[in-house]
Amino acid sequence: MSGARRFRRRMTIPSLLAGLLILVAFGIAAYWRSPLRGLPYRDSFAAGKAEEWQAFGGTWELRDGSMRDDSNERGAKLFSGSPYWQDYSVEADVMLLSATGPASDVGLILRSSDEEEGVYAYSGYMTALHITRGFASELLLGRVEHGTYTVSAPLVPELQPSRWYHLKLLAYGCRVVATARASSSATPTVVSMTDNNCIRSGRVGLLSSHSGGVWRNVVVRRATEQDLSEMLAEGASSGNPPTQNSSNTLRSFLDERLEEPSGSTQQGLPPGPKSVPIGDIGLDLLSQSRKVTVRGLVTLTSPTLFVQDSTGGIAIQQETPQLLKIGDEVEATGDASPHAFSSVLNNAAVRVLWQSAPIPAVSVTASQAATGAFDATFIEVEGRLRRKQYLPNNSLCFDFDAGSQSFRAIMSRESGGNLYNRIESDSMVRLRGVAVSDPAYTSDSAAFAVLVPSGKDFMVIAGPPWWSAGHLLVIAVVLLILALISYLLYQRLENWRLRAVVEEREALAYEVHDSLAQSVAGIGFQLEAIRVGTPTELEHVHRQLDVTTELVRHSHREARRSVDMLRSRQLESEGLLSALTTCAYRLVVGSSVQISASSSGTLPPLSLRLSDTLCRIGQEALANAVRHAHPKSLGIHLDCSQNLLRLLITDDGTGFVEDPDQPSFGILGMRKRAMSISAKLEIVSTPGKGTVVTVAVHVPSRVTIASLPARLWGFLRRKHHAGAAGKADPNSDR
Amino acid sequence: MPEPPERLIRILIVDDHPAVRVGLTSMLQTQAALRVVGSASGGEEALALMEKDAVDVVLLDLRMPGMNGVETIQKMKSTGCTARAIILTSFDTDEDIYGAVRAGAKGYMLKDASLTEMVEAIQAVYANKKYIPREIAARLADRMMRPDLTARELEILKMVAKGLTNRSIGQALGISSFTVKNHVNNIIEKLEVCDRTEAVTTAIQKGIIRIDN
Repeated sequence: MSGARRFRRRMTIPSLLAGLLILVAFGIAAYWRSPLRGLPYRDSFAAGKAEEWQAFGGTWELRDGSMRDDSNERGAKLFSGSPYWQDYSVEADVMLLSATGPASDVGLILRSSDEEEGVYAYSGYMTALHITRGFASELLLGRVEHGTYTVSAPLVPELQPSRWYHLKLLAYGCRVVATARASSSATPTVVSMTDNNCIRSGRVGLLSSHSGGVWRNVVVRRATEQDLSEMLAEGASSGNPPTQNSSNTLRSFLDERLEEPSGSTQQGLPPGPKSVPIGDIGLDLLSQSRKVTVRGLVTLTSPTLFVQDSTGGIAIQQETPQLLKIGDEVEATGDASPHAFSSVLNNAAVRVLWQSAPIPAVSVTASQAATGAFDATFIEVEGRLRRKQYLPNNSLCFDFDAGSQSFRAIMSRESGGNLYNRIESDSMVRLRGVAVSDPAYTSDSAAFAVLVPSGKDFMVIAGPPWWSAGHLLVIAVVLLILALISYLLYQRLENWRLRAVVEEREALAYEVHDSLAQSVAGIGFQLEAIRVGTPTELEHVHRQLDVTTELVRHSHREARRSVDMLRSRQLESEGLLSALTTCAYRLVVGSSVQISASSSGTLPPLSLRLSDTLCRIGQEALANAVRHAHPKSLGIHLDCSQNLLRLLITDDGTGFVEDPDQPSFGILGMRKRAMSISAKLEIVSTPGKGTVVTVAVHVPSRVTIASLPARLWGFLRRKHHAGAAGKADPNSDR
Repeated sequence: MPEPPERLIRILIVDDHPAVRVGLTSMLQTQAALRVVGSASGGEEALALMEKDAVDVVLLDLRMPGMNGVETIQKMKSTGCTARAIILTSFDTDEDIYGAVRAGAKGYMLKDASLTEMVEAIQAVYANKKYIPREIAARLADRMMRPDLTARELEILKMVAKGLTNRSIGQALGISSFTVKNHVNNIIEKLEVCDRTEAVTTAIQKGIIRIDN
């Protein structure tokens, strides 16, 4: 039963670990195959990095913070992203470098897979700005599957090289839609298609054909159905008064008729005779205040009314405030007072024409917005929240940083809701609103301010980075706990190791005792028997037998001492001294021999081999002294200075004269042992005065982390004992 | 050499090592006053031989497979055997000496003893005296001063030596870990050591516990 339980217990941890491992593997796989992994994605061209992009043809290189392909190769492609991305949009600023080829394209690809070098050599959807020499330019949208089928829409105004276009391609389900606009405020060209049996997922890419191209601000975002309809609506709501050409309202002639947003059936209404494009007001700087009429969509109602058409935005001071909604198409007549970037229409009379869909935001960077080019325009911008505060006039104020630029976002407290508490400092936020550079809003501390209509226009892209103070504290605590655990583990391991050593030595001791010592004992008995049986006349035989018997006894004692040695634990020099003292006490038990033991200097930690050998030499010296010299006192002294460890065994016995031809077995053994650890053995004996046996060995200086505490401890203890007698009785603490 | 048979001391040698058995037999056979009636390789065999043959003195090894020396002495006593036991061993840990003497061994000798010493010992023991060499006697006295570990403490000490924690010892013995801790503290006190690791090494060194192979 207990075996089964033990087995179960032993299996618990491995099976738990295995389970955990499988879970982690599943987690990694799920993460890797997630259709959202890495979204939203933003290129790092500006940071000079493009490692995540893979080229098929073309001469792709980073220059001035944008990706550039200077080749006129057909079918140059550059890919990035996850092959598991499904519903998403890709947008970028795109520039055609030349239109000299027979038919030049620059564009974007999504849901791509199976890519190869060559024209149309991939499976996915593409959109491209296309110009054929001698013909009008078009916005292409198509499915490519190592071959192509395309829908297209004429591009107005005519595609021009070396000019930025904002291109966006979105796929949701089996609907694919592409838009292109010449500038952020221009009317977009929209083309869309429904592809039954569509390609479901794939990577994102850039393409060029017959012309070089430049790409920047590549952004990939997850797409929802709402995004799709918003994009389609862009085409639908683009029927605001065209400025130059009445045929400006465009849509794909191959696509099915789009559903009109409710209330905008008056789409394409010709502009009123008096109305002027908003963008033109600012150009007219010289003419001071004059009466103008503008038409546009309401982008903001509070604190000031803002109206925007395809050429720009304007702030409107109403003569009689009336209730307006964002997205209302209005006609306003008032006194235009032009400013450097945007204008204000004072004392305006506002008339609601009809309800329309809200104007989509123009995605810009903070640096672009800071130029003032987007003043009074409904923009989308990203930044990292630095500070949030309530302003006295009942509004919320957020200060953002984006690169070297800083800007602020302002919204009324009511529309903000719990936003103030919800958004943490250092979060990455994408927000939509009307850009203004009026010092009344910016307080001159920011390049521009964004007037945000509602809390919905705040999107937290990423929370605060992990190195906030709280996180660091948590990490520190976790690290501390980990360190503690690893320290405990180390201790446990060290204990195991020590026990393993003890067990191993015990096993060895058993082995020595059981085979070697017993055989030697048996031989000794046999020798005794032979000696008794040998006639006493054979004197030389008796002498030889005596020597042999002594040899055998010596071996037996040696074996016994080996066993003793293996059983004791001399891991430190202190252990060596106490072991030798114990040995000496044992040898002289019952007699009146005085034993003194002492040590001086910092005793270094010794390896087992070294301490074993020193101990054996010491034991032999002590045994010899007790057996042959009949001393009154024995001294054991251990001393270490400058890495030289010396063991001194002294006695005041009879002393002896060493016979160089016939040294005793004991002394031979000691010499051999000393040699094995490269120690110097010195025996100085004066007949009648005693003997001094000195073993000197070099101990490598090891200042390791492990030995440091021991050294420190030794140092402190010596300090503590300074002044006390140098002699310490090692048994006093027992 | 015909001697009166009643003066012969009948000796049984018990040792698991053939070298020792053969050597001892050869050596003791040289003595006229002694007669080696046989040798056995273990406790069980020795007891069987003693039932068949009258034996005066048994020379017993301590560590043998199966029944060890101390156990053999205990068994001899319980079966009413009159033979006197001398422990003849290579061991001289305090606990071995103490255990053997407590079990009723009359003599205790190390295997490197000379023939004279051995004959002396056998004759002393045969004459119903005790024979324990001086240095061994001193250590025996030393050991007598130290309190014995209880059976439970011994059991726990063995488990500590195997590396079990207090909690797992408590689980195995069905007692709380605090009780185990108390026992361990008692052990540390009785062995006069500082911690449990030292308790284990000291116990092995003194022969209180053995590590089983």
